[in-house]
Amino acid sequence: MEVLFRDFQSANSEQSGPGLAATISPIAPPNYLNRLDAIYKDSNVATISRDVAFGLTKSAHAAIQYPNPEIDTWTEIYSAYWYAVGAILAAEHAEQNASQSDWLRVYMAWKDLSNAIIKAYSSGVLENWTLPVLYMAGKHLRTFAIKADASAGSNGNAIYNSGDLQEDIAGDFDRNKNLEDAARVINRMFTLCISDRAPLEESRKWGLYYMANLQFKTYFKLNSISLCKNVLRAISAGTTDMPNLSVFPKSHIVTFKYYVGVIKFLEEDYAAAEENLLSALRMCHRSATRNVELILAYLVPTRLLTSQLLPSPELLSPYPRLAHLFTPLVYAIRSGSLSDFDSALTEGEPEFVKRRIYLTLERGRDICLRNLLRKVYLASGSDEEGKRRTRIRVDEFGTAIRLGERGVDGESLENDEVECLVANMIYKNLIKGYISRAHGMVVLSKTGAFPGTGI
Amino acid sequence: MASTAPYWGPDATMSHQMQRGSPTFPSLTRHSSDSPSATGAFTSVAARRNFGHNKASVTTSPSVTPITQPAPSQPTTAARTKRDWPESVRLYVQRAFAAENNVPGVGREEMEMKLKQVISDSAESNTLTIIDWANIPLPQHMILNDRQRSGLIQPGPAWGNLIAPLGVHDTNMKSNESPSKKRKSSDLESSQRGQEKIPPWRLANNRNVFEDRITHPDKRQRNDVGSKGSSKSHHNQANRKKRFEDAQTGYPSQQPFTPSKANTSTQDTDLGPVVGRCQDLEKKYFRLTSAPNPDTVRPLPVLEKTLDLLKKKWKRENNYSYICDQFKSLRQDLTVQHIKNEFTVNVYEIHARIALEKADLGEYNQCQTQLRALHSQHLGGHPEEFKAYRILYFIHTCNRTDMNDVLADLTPEEKKNPAIKHALDTRSALALGNYHRFSQLYLNTPNMGAYLMDMFVGRERLAALSNMCLSYLPDIKLRFFTEELGFESDDESARFICDHGGQAFLEEREGEVRILTKKARNFFESARQAAFRKVDIKGQI
Repeated sequence: MEVLFRDFQSANSEQSGPGLAATISPIAPPNYLNRLDAIYKDSNVATISRDVAFGLTKSAHAAIQYPNPEIDTWTEIYSAYWYAVGAILAAEHAEQNASQSDWLRVYMAWKDLSNAIIKAYSSGVLENWTLPVLYMAGKHLRTFAIKADASAGSNGNAIYNSGDLQEDIAGDFDRNKNLEDAARVINRMFTLCISDRAPLEESRKWGLYYMANLQFKTYFKLNSISLCKNVLRAISAGTTDMPNLSVFPKSHIVTFKYYVGVIKFLEEDYAAAEENLLSALRMCHRSATRNVELILAYLVPTRLLTSQLLPSPELLSPYPRLAHLFTPLVYAIRSGSLSDFDSALTEGEPEFVKRRIYLTLERGRDICLRNLLRKVYLASGSDEEGKRRTRIRVDEFGTAIRLGERGVDGESLENDEVECLVANMIYKNLIKGYISRAHGMVVLSKTGAFPGTGI
Repeated sequence: MASTAPYWGPDATMSHQMQRGSPTFPSLTRHSSDSPSATGAFTSVAARRNFGHNKASVTTSPSVTPITQPAPSQPTTAARTKRDWPESVRLYVQRAFAAENNVPGVGREEMEMKLKQVISDSAESNTLTIIDWANIPLPQHMILNDRQRSGLIQPGPAWGNLIAPLGVHDTNMKSNESPSKKRKSSDLESSQRGQEKIPPWRLANNRNVFEDRITHPDKRQRNDVGSKGSSKSHHNQANRKKRFEDAQTGYPSQQPFTPSKANTSTQDTDLGPVVGRCQDLEKKYFRLTSAPNPDTVRPLPVLEKTLDLLKKKWKRENNYSYICDQFKSLRQDLTVQHIKNEFTVNVYEIHARIALEKADLGEYNQCQTQLRALHSQHLGGHPEEFKAYRILYFIHTCNRTDMNDVLADLTPEEKKNPAIKHALDTRSALALGNYHRFSQLYLNTPNMGAYLMDMFVGRERLAALSNMCLSYLPDIKLRFFTEELGFESDDESARFICDHGGQAFLEEREGEVRILTKKARNFFESARQAAFRKVDIKGQI
C-alpha cells in the first residue's frame, strides 16, 4: 500500500500522467515484481476504502481541504484497483497451477475500475494531464475482455441464447460477449474525450486519438469494421474546434493513420489508403519494426494497384515475415509468369485472407499479365523502319499466355478469352491501343503502349 | 376459429398477465391463506394440481373439490363451519360439484359463486331448512337459465379474461365469499403447507414452474386425478374434453396461471425452451411480441407433418406469399422450442431455395444467415451447396468484407467441391473482369445458383459491354457480344442493349447487326457505373 501512495504522491507533484497511470497498472514493474502482491496483502475487503482514504490523506499535501472530492475520487479508484488486483493475482496464480483461472472476474473488476475512472473524468475531478490513467484503464479493459472471452470459450459452457423473442436460431453471437461489452465502455471513454468543451489547454480532446485507436483495434478484433466509420464521422464532425493533427502525440497519430489507411483500403479507396499509410510509415519510429511491418502489409498491395509498384527486396528484407509473404508474388509479377502468380497466390491464400489483402492482391494478376504482354511486344521485333511493330495478332498474345498456363483443367485458352483479357488490359489502361476484331489484331499505340513502363 | 384463436391467444393472455402482474403479488402475501386458487400456482407441484383441478373442477369430481375449496372458506367461514349445515344443503353442494352434473360451458368459478350466493341468501333469510334442496336447480343450471334469459350464449372463457383485467378483485371476492364447504382436514393441511413453501419457490425458480407447466401438463393432470382414486373413465374423458375446449380459447383457466405467468413475463430473459402443444398443421406467421404461448406452438412431430404439407402445396399451388408466411411461422416454432437438428436444417434449406426461386433476397438472406450457424454445427443438410450460394450472394451485394470472411472459412476440401469451386471461379472471373469465363460459368451453374447469378448477370454484362466498347474499334458484331456474354440469341442481346437505352448504337450493315463501339463508349460506361452504384442490400445483417 505504501508504495502506491508514494508513487501517487510523486506523480502528482511532478504532474506526470504516465507516472500516475503506472500506479494502476495491472502489471508489476520490472524493478518491483511483487508490487501487486504487496498492495493486495496490505489490506482487506473490510477496510480497503478506509485504508486508501487514510493513505491518500496522509500523503496528500498539507494544505489540502477536507472533505476533498479528489481524495474521494481516488479512494474509489484505488479501492476498485485493489479488488481488480485481487482478481488478477488469483487468475495468474490459477494459471500457474494449470487450473481454471477466472478471467471473467478480472474483467468485471477492471470494468468497475474503468467506470470509476470515467466517473472521475466526467465529474471533472481529474485534469487532462492525468489522461494516461484513462489510457491504462482502456488498454487493459480490452485485453482482459479478450481473455475472459477466451476462457469462456475454452470452458465449453456455450451460453445458450435464451432468445425467446428472437426470430431465429442464434449463431455464435455470444462468443465475444465481453469484448463487445468492453467496446461500449471504450466508446464512453472516447466520448468523454471528444465531447470535452473545455479550453484546449485543459481539454481531454488530447486523448481523443488514443481512444479512437483503441476503438479501431477492438472493432477489428470483433470483425465489425463498419463501426469504425462512426468514430471517423465523430472526429471529422469535430475538426473545426480541434487542434491540428500534427500537434497530437506522434504515437497516437501513427496508429490512427494506420487504421484509417486500412479502413480506406478495405473500402477500396486505394488513393486515400495510400496517402494515410504512407504518412503513417513516414512518422513511424524507426525501431518500431512491428508497426512498420503492419503498415507495409497494406501499403505493398495498395501501391501495387495505385501505381503498379513492387516492393524492392531491400524494403522487405528487415521483415522476414513480409518477405516470405510477398516475395514469390513479386517475383511472379515481375517476370510476368501467370502460373507462378497463381500458385503463389494460392500458397499464401490463408495468410492473405487473414490479413484481408487477398482480394486486392488477386488483382495484381493484371500487372502480371501486362508484363507478359509487354514481353511479347518487346520480342515481336521491328518493322523495316526500325520501329516496333504496333500490330500484334491476338494469336501471338494467346501463345504467350498459353505457354505460361499449366492447363490445370486440361482446357486450353480460346482466342476469344485472350481477346477478353487484352480488352481488360485496355479497359484498365494498362495497355494503350484497341482490338480490331475484323483482323484478329491488337493495334497498340505508337507511343507509350504500356503506360508507366518506359515504353 | 382454429386459425384466429392462436393469434389472440398470446396477446390476450399477455395483456392480462401484465395488468395483473403486480397486483397479484401483494394479494398473495396478504391473503395467502385465503386465496388458494391464486397461490396454488406457485409451486411447481401446486401449479400442476391447479392445472388439473381447474379443468377437472368443472367436472366436479368430489374428491377434487376440497383442494380448491379449503382456503377460501377458511378465514371467513371459521365461524360458519361450526354451524351445523343441514344434511340437505350438504347433499346439494355435493351434487353441485359432482362430475355428472357438470354443464359444459359453465366454469367452475362461476358455479361456485352461484352456489355461494344461493346458500348465503338462504342462510340470511333463514330459509335453509325451508328450501327443498333436493329439488331446486343446481347452480350451474341456474346460470344456464340466467344466460338464456339474458340472451347470452356461453360467453367464452377467453373473453372473460380479456375483459376482466381486475384479477385481484376477482380473487379476493372469490376467496372472501366462497361458500363454506366441508373439507377434509388433511386436504386443508396439505394446501396450507403448500402455500407456506410457495413464495420462495416461486421467487427462486419460476423457470421450473413454467417449464413443468408447459411441458407435461397432460400427464401430470391425469396422474393427479388418478391418484385421487377418481379416475373413472368418464371423468378422464370429461377432463380431456374440457382440456381441448380450453386449449382452443387460449387460457381460460387463467387464475392459477396468472401469478407464475406474470412472474415469468418479468424475467423473459431467463425462459427456457417452450414445448408446444398446438396440433394445427398450418399457422399464419405472427411476429412475437411476448413470450410464446405453448398453445399456439406446434411440437416437432406436427411440424414435420407441416413441412410435408407445405412441400406438397408449394408444388401444387406455387403460392409464394402463402408459403413464405407458413415457413416463417414454422421457423418461429422451431426457434421458440430451441429445436436444432437435421429437420431444422431441412426447413431452412427448403425455405432458402424457395426464396431463391422467387428472388426474395431478404428472406433468403435470413435463411442463409441461420443456415451458416446451423451448418457449422454439423447437423446435416447441404452445407457446400449453401456455401456456394453464399459466395454468389456476396458477389451480388459487392460485400468484400463478408467475402473475405467466407474465403477465410473455406477448407481445402470445400474448395474442391464443384458448387463451391464454381462460385469461387465466378468470383475470381468477375474480379479480374474476365467476362468470357464468367459467361461460361453462368451457363453451367450447379444447383440453384443460377437464380442468384440472374441477379447480377445484367450488371456484369453491362460492365463487359462497356469494356468492349472501349477496347474494340471500330465496331463489333452483335453476334460476338451475344456469344461472349452467354445470351441465348441475338434477339435477346439486342433487347438487352435496347433496354439500357443503347438502340442508337446498333447498326445493320451487310446483313449483320453491329455495335458501334466507339460511339457507345461513354454511354455504356456511365450505365455501368449506375448499375454498380445501387446494390440491393435489403435484409442484410
